[in-house]
Amino acid sequence: MPREWRRAWGRATPYLLILPVVLYYAAFWLRPVLDAVIGSFTGLDGTFTFENFNMVFQDEHFVPALKNTAIIVIFSVTLEFLMALLLALIINRKFFGSGIFLFLAMIPMALPAVAVGAMWSTGLTAHGWINSLRHYLGFTGKVYWLAGSELQLLALIIIIDAWQVIPSVMIILLAGLQNIPEETKEAGYVFGGNYLTVLRKITLPMLKPTIQTAVILRLISAIQIWLIMVILLGFSRLPVMVERVVFYHDEVSNLEISRQMALGYTIIVSVIVSMAALAYLQVSGAFKREAEEVV
Amino acid sequence: MKKKNKPVNIAKAAKTTSLYIIVTGLVAIILLPIYFVVSLSFLSTREAYRYPLPLYPALETKFELTHGKRGYLLSVYDRVESEYRTIKDTSDLEDMSLFMKYQLGTPMTVAEIEREVARLETQDVIRFSHRRNLLSNYQTFFKVTRNAVPALTRSLQICALTIVISLSIGGMAGYAFARYIFKGRNALKFSVLFVRMFPGVAIAMPMVIILADLGFYDKPMGLALVYSVGSIALTVWITASIFMGIPVSLEEAALVFGATKLQAFRRITLPLALPGLAACAMYAFLGAWNETISAIILTQFNPTFSVVVYQTLIGATGQVNLAAAGGIAMALPAIVFTFFIRRYIHQMWGGVTV
Amino acid sequence: MATLTLDNVTKQFGKKVTAVNHFNLKVHDGEFLVLLGPSGCGKTTAMRMVAGLEEVTDGRIYIDDADVTDLPPRKRNVSMVFQNYAVWPHMTVYENISYALKLKRMDKKTIDDIVHDVAAMTKISELVERYPSQLSGGQQQRVAVARAIAVSPKIFLMDEPLSNLDAKLRVSMRTELKAIHTKTGATTVFVTHDQSEAMSMADRIVIMKDGEVEQIGGPDDVYHDSANLFVASFIGTPPTNFMDVALTVADGDTCLVNPHINLELNDENAALLKGYERKALIIGVRPENILFVGAEEAILSAECLVVEPQGSHQVVAIELDDQLVKIVAPPRLKIRPGENVHLAFEQEAIHFFDKETGARI
Repeated sequence: MPREWRRAWGRATPYLLILPVVLYYAAFWLRPVLDAVIGSFTGLDGTFTFENFNMVFQDEHFVPALKNTAIIVIFSVTLEFLMALLLALIINRKFFGSGIFLFLAMIPMALPAVAVGAMWSTGLTAHGWINSLRHYLGFTGKVYWLAGSELQLLALIIIIDAWQVIPSVMIILLAGLQNIPEETKEAGYVFGGNYLTVLRKITLPMLKPTIQTAVILRLISAIQIWLIMVILLGFSRLPVMVERVVFYHDEVSNLEISRQMALGYTIIVSVIVSMAALAYLQVSGAFKREAEEVV
Repeated sequence: MKKKNKPVNIAKAAKTTSLYIIVTGLVAIILLPIYFVVSLSFLSTREAYRYPLPLYPALETKFELTHGKRGYLLSVYDRVESEYRTIKDTSDLEDMSLFMKYQLGTPMTVAEIEREVARLETQDVIRFSHRRNLLSNYQTFFKVTRNAVPALTRSLQICALTIVISLSIGGMAGYAFARYIFKGRNALKFSVLFVRMFPGVAIAMPMVIILADLGFYDKPMGLALVYSVGSIALTVWITASIFMGIPVSLEEAALVFGATKLQAFRRITLPLALPGLAACAMYAFLGAWNETISAIILTQFNPTFSVVVYQTLIGATGQVNLAAAGGIAMALPAIVFTFFIRRYIHQMWGGVTV
Repeated sequence: MATLTLDNVTKQFGKKVTAVNHFNLKVHDGEFLVLLGPSGCGKTTAMRMVAGLEEVTDGRIYIDDADVTDLPPRKRNVSMVFQNYAVWPHMTVYENISYALKLKRMDKKTIDDIVHDVAAMTKISELVERYPSQLSGGQQQRVAVARAIAVSPKIFLMDEPLSNLDAKLRVSMRTELKAIHTKTGATTVFVTHDQSEAMSMADRIVIMKDGEVEQIGGPDDVYHDSANLFVASFIGTPPTNFMDVALTVADGDTCLVNPHINLELNDENAALLKGYERKALIIGVRPENILFVGAEEAILSAECLVVEPQGSHQVVAIELDDQLVKIVAPPRLKIRPGENVHLAFEQEAIHFFDKETGARI
């Protein structure tokens, strides 16, 4: 191959390698996204309109869905992060059996959402295994888990979701922890710190990029929670954003406005997710760091 | 000088003990729900609706047979009440056998029942026990739930396709990120994260039309294409860090000794990257296997296994123990794969940051 | 400023691995003590036990007569310079140095003064507001040293601090560290595997192998008065030449012989080796103690293999039975490879070793 060709080929290689990804995303992501966006602004008669969004805003379940989603996101991300951090710190101590413990801790994450749904729906009914267990432990009477107040149900959902999700956060944090050199922490001890001091002033600050990754991934997923709520409580009882989308697309799909509502909710969810993610990134200084790196 | 180790050892022992107590508590929290669903999936339909639920599935059922008004009075030993409860009064042994099979998960043939009945000649009351078929719920689930078996094969197909698509397309891009510095590199890195910000639902709905145009609606390939969208993003991220972990000098050495770039990749880089790539594949598998909502939207008559289990759960068709069996059946491959890749998952996330 | 005593200190990992075996040592106030030995000899483990980063399996450790064996690192009043510097990447140099001072609740002015003092001492005053990622390896190392000095510890611990620096920087930092030691007068324990580093810096050297102490002594002691084969082979560059010999007594002359050598012992050495006629012996002769002589006075004659000019001297290598013997020769002596050379040993400088035990006679 003549030299100029070879050089051009060499310079083109990276672009050729990423071309498939770019094309794939253009066809199977960008286009559907644009379709969805356009569709959400398209009325029943095919004209450009804000009507879909109006309908969504006026939907009686819109504000509750928004509120519930917000509560769930704030509490579950916080709870999950703290518990996952605790777990990661414990496993990082490498005690006897920590390898097995790690595998066990990963199991909830591997379970399909429907399996987890089956797990808790069979447990939370009046005759379910949770009440049965309580019975064996000596507690009399049944607790009607699924008949509580809205707040109680939200708490229940948050705990159940945390049960499943904590392992995935833990794994990311654990990887980050293990990337911190042992000597760097030891220096913290030699120069006057006890366990908490070193944790606060050295380990956690050095873990910051990892924490950011974990939190933002978790944030994006948390906003889109829906399946566990539908399995346990059915539709419309405790609405959240994506549950509304499935409701309109699947449950009541033969309504005239179903598609519009579904699309409307979808776009709103996407906007919320994007804004939340960008806001978080901004606040945590990820953009600043990125800029520093490039410089 | 005398040793003064005692007080320190007590403090240390206390710390270690409390650590193990916490760990045990956490293990209990993790395993308890799982245990109960598994146990539930082995319980007979009758026992699944008892309160309180038996703590563990029975390996055999104990029966009591005596003469009844309409023929024979069959009682079964109820483990919760610790006594025999009458369940059937009939002379139709066939009916009895079917009842045992479906309600009690105890496969007793008519001939076997006849043998026991014969003993009634000499005694007023006879007792016998028969082993249970622990897998009865699973068998029933797959037979009774329409679509279960084809859905299972379909899910497996989809997972395989997703792995192939995302590893090949994503792996190429990951390699480019690892080995080359090119314009737009940082922008692309961020956009990969950005892709995840759009909920899968949103893409699924327009995809119905796009896939229909391509002829892939309600077909495994269609879902594989959709799943790959999310999977590729993660794959690029992760393969990039894997390839970065393999020193360029290894490939360069191959080049010096006569290989082309492609050969160097195939014979040197790829084998070294295999563990990480395997983990990537498992992640892709799990993602495709577990996903439900896009599957609901993008299939109609050919659902995935996840959709079938979902429908069983929220539909009226689901009996508690059957739903449990379906859920566990779905969870098994996921757990098995997780076991194999648990070490690699950590490796994968090591180099990844936003 | 303090004394350090290790009393029969032992460290075992699990049931099988003994990293440090009954280590006894008294470090004097203000001394610069070096723990020297090959990888895996236990020197770093011993130091980490002094720091409190490893638990002591058996034995006690005293700093200034106070038993610190069960105390955590922060209560021992020691500081440490790590091999990989271990400076905290998310803190500025200033914050790195002031970390310990802040934990001691010192007031801002005092902290500020101390930081600037030690920064000046380690020549990093202009770098105080930078982050470690913006510094070179050598500069990061100075930060680590400054951080260690700032706390005015009773004992300074240094774990191979120079090993990650390039050769030239290593040599210059040696001098700087020694100067700082002279200035502060602090008791220092320094770990290294580089024997020339140990020789140039130590007041006393502890040579270790496989968890055991081989010899404790000043540079001169371990060099000229090696306790055993290992010490003699480890210290000095080019290394000591060892030769198997047998003792013969004939006509009132006591000689050490082997196929290439016939060495007539002087009275002193003859008396020393009395009784070793049937024992296997090894002699150790340092390259600089081998002289080029005329053919008649030669103890050993051989063909020269390689000549390595070093400017101030030459290193001449000869081959004896697959073994290389190196000699340090004056720079202007004309020797060519392939030439036959005649050599003699300076008798007072020869070390005699019992081949079985490796101990010096």
